[in-house]
Amino acid sequence: MMSQEPLTSLAAEYKSGSPILLEKIKLLNEQYAAIRRTRGDGNCFFRSFMFAYLEHILESQDRAEVDRIKTNVEECRKTLLSLGYVEFTFEDFFTLFLEQLEGVLSGNEDSISHDELVQRSRDQSISDYVVMFFRFIASGEIKKRSEFYEPFIQGLTNTSVQQFCKSSVEPMGEESDHVHITALSDALGVPIRVVYLDRSHGDKGSSVSVNHHDFTPVACDLTNATSASGSEAVKPFVTLLYRPGHYDILYPK
Amino acid sequence: MAEDKYNRNNPAVKRILQEVKEMQSNPSDDFMSLPLEENLFEWQFAIRGPRDSEFEGGIYHGRIQLPADYPFKPPSFMLLTPNGRFETQTKICLSISNHHPEHWQPSWSVRTALVALIAFMPTSPNGALGSLDYTKEERRALAIKSRETAPTYGSSERQNLINEVCDQASELPTDKNEAEGGATEAISQPAENDTINEEPNETSSTENNVAQASQSVPAVPETVHQQQQLHVPQTGVVHKPADDRLFTWAAFGLTIAIVVLLLKKFLKANGYDVVFMNES
Repeated sequence: MMSQEPLTSLAAEYKSGSPILLEKIKLLNEQYAAIRRTRGDGNCFFRSFMFAYLEHILESQDRAEVDRIKTNVEECRKTLLSLGYVEFTFEDFFTLFLEQLEGVLSGNEDSISHDELVQRSRDQSISDYVVMFFRFIASGEIKKRSEFYEPFIQGLTNTSVQQFCKSSVEPMGEESDHVHITALSDALGVPIRVVYLDRSHGDKGSSVSVNHHDFTPVACDLTNATSASGSEAVKPFVTLLYRPGHYDILYPK
Repeated sequence: MAEDKYNRNNPAVKRILQEVKEMQSNPSDDFMSLPLEENLFEWQFAIRGPRDSEFEGGIYHGRIQLPADYPFKPPSFMLLTPNGRFETQTKICLSISNHHPEHWQPSWSVRTALVALIAFMPTSPNGALGSLDYTKEERRALAIKSRETAPTYGSSERQNLINEVCDQASELPTDKNEAEGGATEAISQPAENDTINEEPNETSSTENNVAQASQSVPAVPETVHQQQQLHVPQTGVVHKPADDRLFTWAAFGLTIAIVVLLLKKFLKANGYDVVFMNES
């Protein structure tokens, strides 16, 4: 996990790159202020998500959100148990994530600062555990709703749901795809925006535009529809930049 | 001193302690395993030869090493008791996955790996390095022999542990029916169709460069069918007593034949052939 960099660093990287990319970076510049790069070790989606989520909690001190996600985490624990996972094989990962969650809330004896959060995200023994926690969560969700995920997985790798989880979700270092993101977002109830930076033209006719996709958790829609905040889709507070093969964190203006 | 080593803030240590606890609270009839007191990452184990196989009745000792970043990386196994299926004191690499043998998963445990190791014994080695392809008779003989004494290996602390494991293992029920429940128990992996691969072992020398076909068997013991015993060329590393005897007889026979022929030729050249042949 690197330090935050202004978005201009992205432009510098593609200085002599394709005009489409440069055009897109210019567009990104209008909406986003900064980028935080993550290590490209196959865990970048999960690691980016970890940092972006914890950082959001640290800055917003949104206790309601923490309580909400804890309920989801407990659900996920039950899911794994009902799928036949042995508790001691995953509980350390759960405990560690919940500790991080407590840590970013102020007023606890083990509260941490932003700098410490950055430090922790670089500490393999913490960072890898949280990544693995997310992998368990995603795997459990995919298996639980296997009939929903099956066609996507078939289209992606032509393997069974079980096999996919075993070879592409649970092992560390396996890159994430739409399926992983959807599963994690659904299971934790956290919306995720992914902004795509590639050489394709955007959706909007002849002019270049930057595509993004919001992964909106299914359950989230229902609960929010009744609340006062309105029926409009929840605004994702986790925004990731996707360049083919890699995810980084984006900071909106 | 031991307390220093048991750094409970180390996530690997925390996990291993959990596994020790779990092993002790759910003992299995098929195996037992304990870490060294001085080093949690070093274990000793004993497994029982799978029922209805030539290993039945055997008790096989071995060593497990857990990597510092366990459970992210798999444990490694080594057998110490001669068994005719795996070479002794050679790492057996068991990792779990169909297509990506390097994919060990943190949701597996020492227990799962031991169950897999037992399930592996009656399968054909298919030339995997560190594997042996002894005949059933030889394996049966080794199984009987395996019950006699515990192997001698390593430090005195390890030896004590081996003896302890051995005592406990020999107390395990030997009656077939009594132990029947053990086969279905101990399946702690989440997915029914998980498989374990036996991989070629990178520590072996290149001379042993036989077909590295890694094979996979379902980790659930009941679904392991004994594969056809294929003939696997083992490049002279394996000495089979039966083969040796055959070669000795063949060499002996050939020598006699040559001596007779030479004698005959010698006699003929010296005109003594009349003794044997009456014409001329």
